[in-house]
Amino acid sequence: MKLLEPVELGPVTAPNRLLFGPHVTNLGRRRALTDRHTAYYERRMAGGCGVVVVEEAAVHPSDWSYEHSPLAANCGAGWSAVAEAAARHGSVALAALGHTGGQGSSAYSQRELWAPSGVPEVNSREVPKVMEQADIDAVVTGFGEAAELAVRSGLHGVEVNAGQHSLVRQFLSGLTNLRGDDYGADKLRFAREVLTTVRAAIGPGKVLGLRLSCDELAPWAGLTPESAAEVAAVLAEHVDHLVVVAGSIFSVQATRPDTHVPAGFNLDLVASIRTAVDGRAAVVAQGSIVDVAMAEQALADGRCDLVEMTRAQVADAALARKAAADPTAIRPCILCNQTCQVRDARNPVVTCVVDPRSGHETLDPDTEAGGAAHPSDVWVVGGGVTGLEAARVLAARGHLVRLTERSPALGGVLRVAAAADGRAPLARIADWLESECRRLGVDLQTGTEASPEQVEAASAAGTRIVLATGGHDLRPRCEVADDAVVVPVARVLEAVAAGDAHGALPAGPVLVDDPIGGPVGVAIAETLAHAGRHVELATPDVIAGQLLSRTGDLAPANVRLAQAGVVVHKRVVLQRVDAEGAHLHDRYTGERTVVPCAAVVDAGHRVPDDSLWAATGSRHARAGDAIAPRTVHEAVLEARRAALAVEGIGPDPGHGTTALAGATTASPATSAGSH
Amino acid sequence: MSGGGQYRYLFSPLRLGPVTVPNRIVFSAHLTNYAEDGMPSEQHAAYYEARAAGGAGLIITEEHSVHPTDWPYEKMIHAFHPEVVPGYKRITEAVHRHGVPIFAQINHNGGQASSMYTRLPVWAPSPVPDPLFREVPKAVDTREIAEIVEGYATVAARCVEGGFDGIELQCSHSSIVRGFLSRATNQRTDAYGGSLENRTRILHEIVAAVREAIGRNIALGVRLCGDELIDDGITLDETVEVARAVEARGQVDYLNTSIGVATASLFMIEASMHIPPEYAMFIPSALRKAVDLPVVGVGRFKDPLQAEKALAEGHADLIGVVRGQIADPDFAAKARSGHAHEIRLCLSCNQECVGRMGLNRWLGCIENPRTGREAVLPPLVRVGKPRDVLVVGAGPAGLQAAITAAAKGHRVTVHERDDEPGGQVRFAASVPNRAELGDIVRNQTHECERLGVDLKYGQEVTPELVAALAPDVVVVATGSVPSRPWWAPPPGEGAFPIVDVLDVLRGDAAPSGDVVVYDELGFHQATSVAELLADRGCQVEIVTNGMVVGQDLGITLDQENFWIRAHAKGIRQTVDTIVNGVDEHGLVTMHHPTGTVTSRKPDWVVLAVPSSPADQLYRDLLAAGVEVHRVGDCVAPRRAHAAVIDGRRVGAAL
Repeated sequence: MKLLEPVELGPVTAPNRLLFGPHVTNLGRRRALTDRHTAYYERRMAGGCGVVVVEEAAVHPSDWSYEHSPLAANCGAGWSAVAEAAARHGSVALAALGHTGGQGSSAYSQRELWAPSGVPEVNSREVPKVMEQADIDAVVTGFGEAAELAVRSGLHGVEVNAGQHSLVRQFLSGLTNLRGDDYGADKLRFAREVLTTVRAAIGPGKVLGLRLSCDELAPWAGLTPESAAEVAAVLAEHVDHLVVVAGSIFSVQATRPDTHVPAGFNLDLVASIRTAVDGRAAVVAQGSIVDVAMAEQALADGRCDLVEMTRAQVADAALARKAAADPTAIRPCILCNQTCQVRDARNPVVTCVVDPRSGHETLDPDTEAGGAAHPSDVWVVGGGVTGLEAARVLAARGHLVRLTERSPALGGVLRVAAAADGRAPLARIADWLESECRRLGVDLQTGTEASPEQVEAASAAGTRIVLATGGHDLRPRCEVADDAVVVPVARVLEAVAAGDAHGALPAGPVLVDDPIGGPVGVAIAETLAHAGRHVELATPDVIAGQLLSRTGDLAPANVRLAQAGVVVHKRVVLQRVDAEGAHLHDRYTGERTVVPCAAVVDAGHRVPDDSLWAATGSRHARAGDAIAPRTVHEAVLEARRAALAVEGIGPDPGHGTTALAGATTASPATSAGSH
Repeated sequence: MSGGGQYRYLFSPLRLGPVTVPNRIVFSAHLTNYAEDGMPSEQHAAYYEARAAGGAGLIITEEHSVHPTDWPYEKMIHAFHPEVVPGYKRITEAVHRHGVPIFAQINHNGGQASSMYTRLPVWAPSPVPDPLFREVPKAVDTREIAEIVEGYATVAARCVEGGFDGIELQCSHSSIVRGFLSRATNQRTDAYGGSLENRTRILHEIVAAVREAIGRNIALGVRLCGDELIDDGITLDETVEVARAVEARGQVDYLNTSIGVATASLFMIEASMHIPPEYAMFIPSALRKAVDLPVVGVGRFKDPLQAEKALAEGHADLIGVVRGQIADPDFAAKARSGHAHEIRLCLSCNQECVGRMGLNRWLGCIENPRTGREAVLPPLVRVGKPRDVLVVGAGPAGLQAAITAAAKGHRVTVHERDDEPGGQVRFAASVPNRAELGDIVRNQTHECERLGVDLKYGQEVTPELVAALAPDVVVVATGSVPSRPWWAPPPGEGAFPIVDVLDVLRGDAAPSGDVVVYDELGFHQATSVAELLADRGCQVEIVTNGMVVGQDLGITLDQENFWIRAHAKGIRQTVDTIVNGVDEHGLVTMHHPTGTVTSRKPDWVVLAVPSSPADQLYRDLLAAGVEVHRVGDCVAPRRAHAAVIDGRRVGAAL
């Protein structure tokens, strides 16, 4: 089997074996799909994706699990728009249908949650109502009505969710189904009722898929690979395709983990389920598959019939098209989960650190469409992510681009960050940008300092300037005695990258001071602990790595720290470092703790390196960390804006605010229908 | 004086420059999350109108963003878009119908923001990351400062066009002006940094530009922070100086006050019941001594007598009553008409107002189910054919069902098994510092009495009794009962007693010595009982399967003060730990990240674990063919707000 060959999903033939799976986007409004959804999916269809599964719609009003969650009854117009897009590109489009049951939220419906049994969800800890027969019947009916609407709207079929966040799985699982009635004795009964009702609603000519958790990672009562194989074998009778996923109420983050879990982690599971299913349904592999080569191998090995590559296509919407032409041109997903994981109370819109246009298709200009009417000579100063992305976009648009980098290597602080344990995939972005810049003919000059005089001379000669000079370390914020060692985390990681696992720190215990709570502080603590150091970590928060909740790595990170023996000091600020060690001060009680240590690693913020900008009249375009040190996402976003500003498309990100696309409002996809 | 009976000051009018307010009760600015895609909503208008109809003297809206670089939370009003004006008019017309002035608060949050929504660099005086958002901001240059100042002026003019009577500049707890005023965030070396005079420069520029934009017929106020409660933060002495400087320029009509920094010490801005009332009174009091401008005082004013006293003692000229009017929109009218005892007193629980704000949800109220739903939930209409309604259980769910049904004209009887109303709230409120939670019971029973609900105590309701009473409809609100985890031996067995929180609060169990409180709920149950027992001399350890003890105390802003009290009381906190069982060595626990198993032999174990619905009566009546509904914990054990919402919904549908 090959990724780009057609495949039969029951009665429907998909143009290839690549699937874009359902995920939360927060593009919805008033519980309906919007034109932003359509644009988001159409971009993937235009990029060659064979099967697109739309964001899950709740099949019944008793389920409102996040504020912008679509409700199936409101989705007719949106589904029609997606179906029309699919027809334009020859893709198969399916509706994901579900009910989140006890994993939902009562915050928006102001009603009790419904679940098989009164087992509280782990984070909300809300005890659900034990569903009565009438509730069960209402949800089953809801599945049927939603499926009927989906196919009436022109979609090729539906996919029922019995994976993460699903009532159907909660009925299948001994973790959550403790019922004394027949739905407890026969845990498959609810799933069967749903699937037969949906099949009756859509008829034999449409696709019925099932997304099934085949390992709840809780063997004491949950679905195990063995028990799930039996479940899958039975339920496969009813469906055309089966997506194999993992995770349960106790392991929500295990379903689409970040880079700390190896890519393709479900491939053995999917192979065993495919054997059990024995050809009754096409089996789809899911689980951090981001490389075409891995997908091809899984297909070639007969582990699966299709491959879900969702995040990979958030990162590069044209993955399929590029896979056919030149796989090295695919912009890599680094499994960071930093901006595509949006099941978050703040309702961030789905997007991608390496392609910030994802999710903003209707607002952001397509840098790859068109080119410069009047090519310019452009000098990009700085070869980090910002400079490389700016150079890439400029060169692709036809400009003559020179990029200079002071250090011997390209990739800037990203390569340094990638030296930490668990973060190596970050470097793939730097690799890809460098390779694209070379392919596009950017003149890449490393080891080249740019002086203000040179910049001004070039500017006077008509060369456009983009300053991507990055950030630099800040002096320690605490008192440091003369003989004490406080080292910025970037310096430690540079030494790690150069091959010194101890980061060139003096022998002895280390305290990591992490006032941010992002990935860096946790990662350096892990790195040094794995090198055999005794490591303690100071955080102002009540949890280490607090900001990691967004990526799903919060609980896993704390588990890893505990297993690595890292001692975490909570709710503290570092006040002084001296011969005794690091003096920590409890933010609330004032209690003081001295942690003996040979060195403190400062994992705090950096500040912009704007010296060249200031020395050249504060007028040249700036982007990324040179404005304010932030993440890859802002670096790429602002690099693109700076590149387009060369052509007069919007202001550069360091000046003015007229390109305020983010303030634009979304509107429902429909002009028909009311909500 | 214009009425108000026992209130000599509260109901006297006052001039704020060109605007005369009819009384001194201010519904001052607070976030609501009612905006829809940046626009003021119908819910905004309905919400403010309800408080105007209820007699507030002045309404100040939530903040409106003056510049596209300022969008720190999803549902902020984007006043930098001209399209806000129709929404403004809807609000101001609704409020003006009741003769109440309304001001718009306008703001730029500066560095107290992220780029998540704007996708633009955050703007601030200096590249100092905010303690909450933790994003390095772009240090604004003088051109950008001018752009911000212009944004204030443009938006102020837009507010006037939208019908507002005044403008308030939020320079206090989350603002770029605060960022400039505070040495903690202003590291500039130019004319906007350094001396207090320099740090105040942007404020004077904004005031001048706004006054120029709005003219003299619109009131202009400045809200200042009296103490940031952070290192290098603004202190009261500096604020007094700033207030004097503002007054000296003659452009401003009143001063409002606050305490704390929203992104560093929010728990002191929106203080819960654990902070004494009037805790921030020293700030308006000091300003009022220094300036002649009218000064607004805020900080947990929850009843009118307390507000009157503050005015009488000269601490302030006006009093901000926010949560008090969130809970009861008719706060002012009830006081003025001599019915203060009927005010639905705020509990300062922060559960559904402050708590929902932090979670990006609409502002509500634990005890007022219409708050936040004014535009959605119609007022109750009396029914043509009253029915006999039997409510079983006088907890928050049953009482709210009874209130709602009675307000619709039904004949309602409530039967409560115990001798007192309140259900579990009664016990929750019996713990030190939590007494104000019990006001919900007082409020509900007062309302029941006013509406003629017949409250009967001390009798268990059985299907037989229902058959004998023969009501037209029954609402079952029988609550929940403690459940025992699989690992706990039956009561009375085992080496040490294992009891529920409720057993302790009811007085049925009196733990002593070494006590382990095992928490799977993450709210006040475990922390309350731990404090109670520590106060009684026990050595207390809270063990939780969660990553944090009392995780949900974070949303009600009770966490920080709990940490301080727990430290003082010697309460130990053990996280990420589950109970594996009880054996001869004692309580066997496991630190689940590492699998480390530990045994300890406490004298007592107290459980804060999910309870089970007491739904037998509901099932029996359903089987007997009685028309029956159920509300509150007997549906699914949840928190009090869910009980109130259930009660209201079911009561309204009868």
